[in-house]
Amino acid sequence: MPALRVVNLTKSFGAVQAVRGVTLAFEAGEIHAVVGENGAGKSTLLKMAAGIATPDAGHVEIFDAKLAPHDAAEAIARGVGMVQQHFALIGVFTALENMVLGAEPVAALGRLDMARAREKAAAVGRELGVELPLDAPAETLGVGDRQRLEIARALYRDARVLILDEPTAVLTPAEAEALYATLRRLADTGKAIVVVTHKLDEVRDFADVASVMRRGELVSPAPRVVVRGGDGRELAEAIMGGALPDELAPRQKTLADVRLRVRDVRLGRALRGVSFDVRGGEIVGVAGVEGNGQRELVRVLAGLEARDAGDVAPEREGLSIVHEDRTREGLVLDATLRDNLLLGELSRFSRAGVLDAPAIERAAAERLAHARVVPDDLDARAKALSGGNQQKIVVQRALARTRADDGPRVLVVAHPTRGVDLGAGRAIHDALLDAASRGVAVLVISSDLHELRALADRILVMARGRIAAELSPSSTDRELGEAMLGTAHA
Amino acid sequence: MATITGLAAAWIAFSLLVWAYGESPREIAGQLFEGTWGTAYGAGQVLFKATPLLFTGIAVDVALRAGLFNIGAEGQLTMASLAAATIGARLAPSAPTWMALPLVMIVAIEAGALWAMVPAILRARFGAHEVISTIMMNRIADACVGLAFGYGLAQAGTVRTADIVPGARLARLDAFFPALHGSAVSLALLIAIATAFAAHAWLSRTRVGREIVLVGQNPIACAAERIPVRRRLAQAMIVSGAIAGLAAFATVLGYKGYFESGLGAGAGFGGLAVALLGRGHPVGLTLAAILFGTLQQGGLAINGRVPMEVMDVLQGVVIAAVALADSRVRDALLRRGVS
Repeated sequence: MPALRVVNLTKSFGAVQAVRGVTLAFEAGEIHAVVGENGAGKSTLLKMAAGIATPDAGHVEIFDAKLAPHDAAEAIARGVGMVQQHFALIGVFTALENMVLGAEPVAALGRLDMARAREKAAAVGRELGVELPLDAPAETLGVGDRQRLEIARALYRDARVLILDEPTAVLTPAEAEALYATLRRLADTGKAIVVVTHKLDEVRDFADVASVMRRGELVSPAPRVVVRGGDGRELAEAIMGGALPDELAPRQKTLADVRLRVRDVRLGRALRGVSFDVRGGEIVGVAGVEGNGQRELVRVLAGLEARDAGDVAPEREGLSIVHEDRTREGLVLDATLRDNLLLGELSRFSRAGVLDAPAIERAAAERLAHARVVPDDLDARAKALSGGNQQKIVVQRALARTRADDGPRVLVVAHPTRGVDLGAGRAIHDALLDAASRGVAVLVISSDLHELRALADRILVMARGRIAAELSPSSTDRELGEAMLGTAHA
Repeated sequence: MATITGLAAAWIAFSLLVWAYGESPREIAGQLFEGTWGTAYGAGQVLFKATPLLFTGIAVDVALRAGLFNIGAEGQLTMASLAAATIGARLAPSAPTWMALPLVMIVAIEAGALWAMVPAILRARFGAHEVISTIMMNRIADACVGLAFGYGLAQAGTVRTADIVPGARLARLDAFFPALHGSAVSLALLIAIATAFAAHAWLSRTRVGREIVLVGQNPIACAAERIPVRRRLAQAMIVSGAIAGLAAFATVLGYKGYFESGLGAGAGFGGLAVALLGRGHPVGLTLAAILFGTLQQGGLAINGRVPMEVMDVLQGVVIAAVALADSRVRDALLRRGVS
């Protein structure tokens, strides 16, 4: 009998299907990792499992009994506790007060029975195998202690299933290791532990089984991949989805001089000395499990984050960039397509500060024609477009800049086809290949290995803020997967 | 939609209040109309009251388009009026209009802009929320008026400045339309309407203006495409202050001919309501200013039967209802500093 089972869960946010018909069981005594990139639907799935989010369809079973009513209070009463990514502690309350908040033991006449609370809290501490500073205000605790406090809070309510959403996102490696030791201890006492994460190395090192999600669905071949005792190969294959590479059309290429030069770029813990070159006419892919520094690399190149050290040539003005998050960083959703297609370029379309409307109209119309979006209307608002059409707008904007006579000759593209259907994705790929054949240096960051294989001349693999390996696009899934996990780390 | 909600809420509040005073809402509404749009004089008075509101409404609107909430139009208008009156009184009495008027106008613009520059810089450099700093600047403006009067800007024994020279005065409209005789509406009204259209053109047809609107809609995407977000925010705030400063046309040049403490008080806050109701369009702003002008003038018309403060309540209801229904206001108040 599984401790927790989700059956055919489905959930949409507006037009986006976050989770589509997922059925999955979590067993007592196991650490079960749910893996996938950002936006794959992991958090939404487990929030539904904990009763926090309401599914559009499907249901949750806790120890074989259907969760009804579907809310968090009922889930907690039945022994399912969730530690969310953002802690929900009250800073001025002590650890003990936080732990019992909402479940305070009460003596006669409604008085708080803090002595009994303390007793039970101490028992929880023994169960966790750590000593919690019960009388310290929560705001004085370190991140690791705060997290243990959140876990203790769930255990205080007699949780038998413990769900943790990205628990190590804020922890140092040593703290993360300590956390997993705690979780292992709990699993050994018969709790079911569910960990949502995108860090594959943690999964490999600490989980018993893993389930991989992509675009709201479980990725085949198996819903549950046994990790423990394996060499990570099965996991790597599950991540790749067992899919076959596309047929590659051989590409004529003449490599020019180095157009983008990155030397020993560092940023906090995210980038620890990244160096590479991209030549004119070359497409270099950057692969890696999300959260290994790719996002920060783009942000540093874009000048949105000031690097701690290292050199980039050219600086921002010499780069044309497609940002990772098109709705936040790429588009002004309330503005027209005209404004979005020329975002940041109005200085080229104004005389003495006054906009040159006919020139703007011509340039925007030309870019729109290249983008082939629906609706084909410069006055439409960007928010009226589907995700795929929005992506075509930001990609065409970046490409158009590389076509301008005095424009940049380096294109940096983060996730060029994320959320885009196959046809549109194909068009974007053709456009990137075309840019390279015009002599533009192209850097493509993607978590889609098919895409990188189809586009790139060579693939840089990022792991833990470094370029861990450089591979040819003809490398096997296994080679790429191992490099991404850092096992091929030289 | 927000506008309709606001007006409906105002009508309900009006009916309840009038009924509570034992009067018939229908009769009082009739009297209200009679005292405002019923006569040429009443209409003139409505437009007179609407004039400063239109200036401050445009000012607040410009800031709002950048996602900024300029609560400081009140102080900007006060400082501009004080500066315009002071300079206007020091000119040679024979100074011709073509020289005196533009000069005083520039002084008013500069004073308003300068007063907005402090919150603008605090916001752009340190991310200080403009709502707090503009409120602060309003209080400082009040204190400055007292200080200035104490140090000799006022005529001896009074709390007003000397009269400005005739060349700096704006003509009343009754000089051109005798039917308006007695009402205080002046050429400042036409300047205000022209300003509404000019501000609209600036926001839509110039690079800086267009980028200000884009920054107001998504500062993150603008920063990612290298639009100087902080500079645009500061520019929007300063232009907003300059336009609020133009309201000195309505208070000093077109009406009193001097500055006294309390002149134009309330217009800055009234401008918030005008901007929210005007929805970023010059015609909308003008109509909104006229609506609030009507409420103010209407309060005087019904004062014999129900207290004129009823109209203040109505204004408050319209502002609150529109503000709650307007997501831009919620965003502006809830947003944290853009880094």
